[in-house]
Amino acid sequence: MRRIALFLALTAASTTTLCAAQESPFFVTYTHHMEEPGNLEVETSSTMGIPRSGQRFYTAPYLELEYGVTTQWTSELYLESSSVWGDSTVFTGWRFENRYKPFRREHWINPVLYLEYESVNEASRIQKEIEGSGPDLTSSNRELRGEHAHELETKLILSSDFRDWNISENFIATKNLSEPEGVEFGYAFGVTRPLATLASGGHCRLCRENFIAGVEMYGGLGSTLGFSPHGSAHYIAPVVSWAMSDNSSLRLSTGFGLTDQSNPVLIRFGYSYELAGFGSRISRLFGGKR
Amino acid sequence: MRFSVLTLVVGASLFGLGQNPSYQLDPQWRAPAPANARSNPLADKPDAAAGGKKLFLRHCAECHGNDGTGLTTKHSADLHLAIVQEQSDGTLFWKITNGNAGKGMPSFSKLPELQRWQLVLFIRTLKEAGPAAADPAK
Repeated sequence: MRRIALFLALTAASTTTLCAAQESPFFVTYTHHMEEPGNLEVETSSTMGIPRSGQRFYTAPYLELEYGVTTQWTSELYLESSSVWGDSTVFTGWRFENRYKPFRREHWINPVLYLEYESVNEASRIQKEIEGSGPDLTSSNRELRGEHAHELETKLILSSDFRDWNISENFIATKNLSEPEGVEFGYAFGVTRPLATLASGGHCRLCRENFIAGVEMYGGLGSTLGFSPHGSAHYIAPVVSWAMSDNSSLRLSTGFGLTDQSNPVLIRFGYSYELAGFGSRISRLFGGKR
Repeated sequence: MRFSVLTLVVGASLFGLGQNPSYQLDPQWRAPAPANARSNPLADKPDAAAGGKKLFLRHCAECHGNDGTGLTTKHSADLHLAIVQEQSDGTLFWKITNGNAGKGMPSFSKLPELQRWQLVLFIRTLKEAGPAAADPAK
């Protein structure tokens, strides 16, 4: 069964066409721009934390499969892991998220509703968002991997395109269904702009039009048991994305921790590859007409 | 002479085959009046259409075909058709910006404004150049 699934995925991937990978450089903040319908984006990313004293260096790689179900609905599946220097490497779980854009037209402020189910353990360090007081950066993987959490996460995404700037704000509320932790809160906001707004006629890789730069800020806001930005991790992070080719892009972020609960530096990088028309190819394999 | 006529007939037939003749405008997909009236800030820079062609092949060809004639399977517009070309620059810009969610056309507001105007500029060249304008193979 796995072989058949792999064969179908490879066949569809080999027959899909290239598609532009003009990716937002944000790692945490979401904008209102959805995945194009029928396209599949495969992304591999990693979060690396430079430790404070008493902490250990870690890297948390994750795989992200993002699919445009319709123009207003995007689904994503995450598989994540964590590797702590001098400790161990563990699989930390999976997440399944859905984003829905209720309005069909562009507005000054474009809301997107976000719902995610997480089946992760406490060793998770990818920090796709920070809620509550942030991840435990001092305990060992052995202690943390046994604490499994089923979480339901919601976000209200507000995003605006003003001239060539994108300004986005995310408000996060997470409920751990496994533990009585109350509802945890977090935030993320950011701003980006392409380095050039006019496309040149020729093909170029390193020209400014292929780069988008910006800055994002994110952190936890405590929970219903104690709502406060204090005692949580907060970061401010310059971000940049580079459209390396028509279908692939690279993103980089260096986050600076603003509190004692944060890592001093959080480095993130990601590589994404976009497969256009993936859904219709899969559909045709089964005799569909899409 | 015969050869020229034959070439013309075959060419016209191929042109017809590539088109999406069933395409009709969605009556619900209307730009508001102020958007219709906007003019293209790059209208006096025809060289910018080359960048528009590159953007078209990246972002639009998947559904509209490399030559812009549309794909029947995607129900996408043949951009050579008069019902498309008769629309104002502002209307085309608005449609690229907002998309038509109900019909599967995504919004391209993620592109900078000038790049969306470049796309409009390039779509105008299809009117004069025929279906081979965008296709990199031709």
